[in-house]
Amino acid sequence: MKIKELISELQDFYLLSARGLLGAVKKPFYLKDMIEQMDYAGAGSFVIIFLVSIFTGMALSLQLSAELSSLGLKMYTGKVVGISIIREIGPVTAALVYAGRVGSGIASELGSMILGHQIDSLRVFGVDPMKKLVTPRILSSIIMLPALTIIGDVVSLCGGYYIAVFVSHQSGTFYWSSIRDVLTFENVFAGSVKPFIFGYLIACISCYMGLSTKGGSKGLRKSTTRAVVVSIVMIIVSDFILTRILLYVLGFSV
Amino acid sequence: MIVFDKVWFSYGINHVLKDISFTVSENERVAILGESGEGKTTILKLILGLIRPDAGKIIIDGEDITNKTEDELREVRMKFSIVFQEGALFDSLNVKENVAFCLREYSKLSEDEIDHKVRELLRIVGVEHAIELMPDELSGGMHRRVAIARSLAACEPKMFLYDEATTGLDPVNADIICKLILDLSKNGRGLILVTHKIFDAVKIAERFMFLKDGIILFDGDKEELVHSTVSEIQIYLNEVSLSCKANKSGG
Ligand SMILES: Nc1ncnc2c1ncn2[C@@H]1O[C@H](COP(=O)(O)OP(=O)(O)OP(=O)(O)O)[C@@H](O)[C@H]1O
Ligand SMILES: [Mg+2]
Repeated sequence: MKIKELISELQDFYLLSARGLLGAVKKPFYLKDMIEQMDYAGAGSFVIIFLVSIFTGMALSLQLSAELSSLGLKMYTGKVVGISIIREIGPVTAALVYAGRVGSGIASELGSMILGHQIDSLRVFGVDPMKKLVTPRILSSIIMLPALTIIGDVVSLCGGYYIAVFVSHQSGTFYWSSIRDVLTFENVFAGSVKPFIFGYLIACISCYMGLSTKGGSKGLRKSTTRAVVVSIVMIIVSDFILTRILLYVLGFSV
Repeated sequence: MIVFDKVWFSYGINHVLKDISFTVSENERVAILGESGEGKTTILKLILGLIRPDAGKIIIDGEDITNKTEDELREVRMKFSIVFQEGALFDSLNVKENVAFCLREYSKLSEDEIDHKVRELLRIVGVEHAIELMPDELSGGMHRRVAIARSLAACEPKMFLYDEATTGLDPVNADIICKLILDLSKNGRGLILVTHKIFDAVKIAERFMFLKDGIILFDGDKEELVHSTVSEIQIYLNEVSLSCKANKSGG
């Protein structure tokens, strides 16, 4: 019985993910809703992404320069910081922050709409909740999370620069030139594929959890928590899988 | 025309409707009576295809809606206008935007025309002054009336569905809403009114159904209702005759 439920839940989830994305190419389009979502999810997350990124960059740079200088390899700080931020830490932190802020928002908003019978109202008025609510959220996440990730990466690298130059007394020009060395096609590609997929995952999971809310305010608590927890786990797991695939595709040997 | 053909429905192990059959034609004014939790709202949801029956058929204007997809159901839903029990206003939109929702969705009216239409609809239900308020700033009665105004903005329904339109309102407001409901279906448009206030039901409806334990215990007109021997209906009727007596002795 449990397994049957799980399978039917998974099926519903896949259907939502597919239909949500299909809504982008099928009329009617809800451009206004999408812009509102992009504003909330993207512009609204800017400050928190900025804060998290700058401190991540500084902490990473501090830790690495301490470790590397004891080995006499201080000049590699820029390179290591660059690679780890662009390929791994940047996309993952941005996605985690996004899941916490936007994912929970999506789930609680849709959940309370379910509980207030507002989704039923929409359906009665002949409006497909999938197109009106899910598609704009998926699309805005697919667009805004990569944008936030790029901003976050830049901010992190600046944070790393500050520590490398002013605390660890390295050469700033050398730091930037080693960052430029790191900005190869492979690294940038690997780092920028991830946020698209993370954004899609977070939006689908949160919409699904929100729309399957039942059982009053406790149910809402449960679905919001589940949206964030499942998103976080899926981000980390899929990050590992993606890293593996990308390393393979781009021809790195481990 | 709405036809229920041996419809069964359950939430999990809770069998709400057991073998329900009835036919309602397009210009009938029907009241579905019954105690709380007997499945009155469930029947309305089934009519709109918001939930699907476990067994049996629901036929609307000759079309079986039980296996229709969400896209196909849209046309069916357009034939009705419903006021939900809870009002179900969009709580992030103000009263004006709530009422204007359908107009924006389906008509190409200009902003001025929409504003004009919204004010007119709100005037009909008597809450024009609340146009800028948010749903959570409305009283229960205002909420209900805005919901009615919103349902009127939906494109020309063939039939109206009301879920407890007058429940929880003071007698004056309940009377206003009853009159409004009657007015709206003057030109031969039918309605289904779900309620447990028989007093309001007799003002509006011409046919009555009584739901009990998942079956329709009674189905007939006012005359038959008054002479019904079903004990639950007797209890309901006592309430009405009491208030009639009170009216007489009072005036
Ligand atoms: N979403 C749901 N999940 C599970 N059970 C439900 C759900 N909605 C209703 N029920 C159950 O179905 C039965 C019928 O509910 P329904 O809402 O149709 O009653 P009702 O006749 O409209 O009552 P009321 O007069 O109080 O509005 C009730 O026993 C209720 O507990
Ligand atoms: Mg009800």
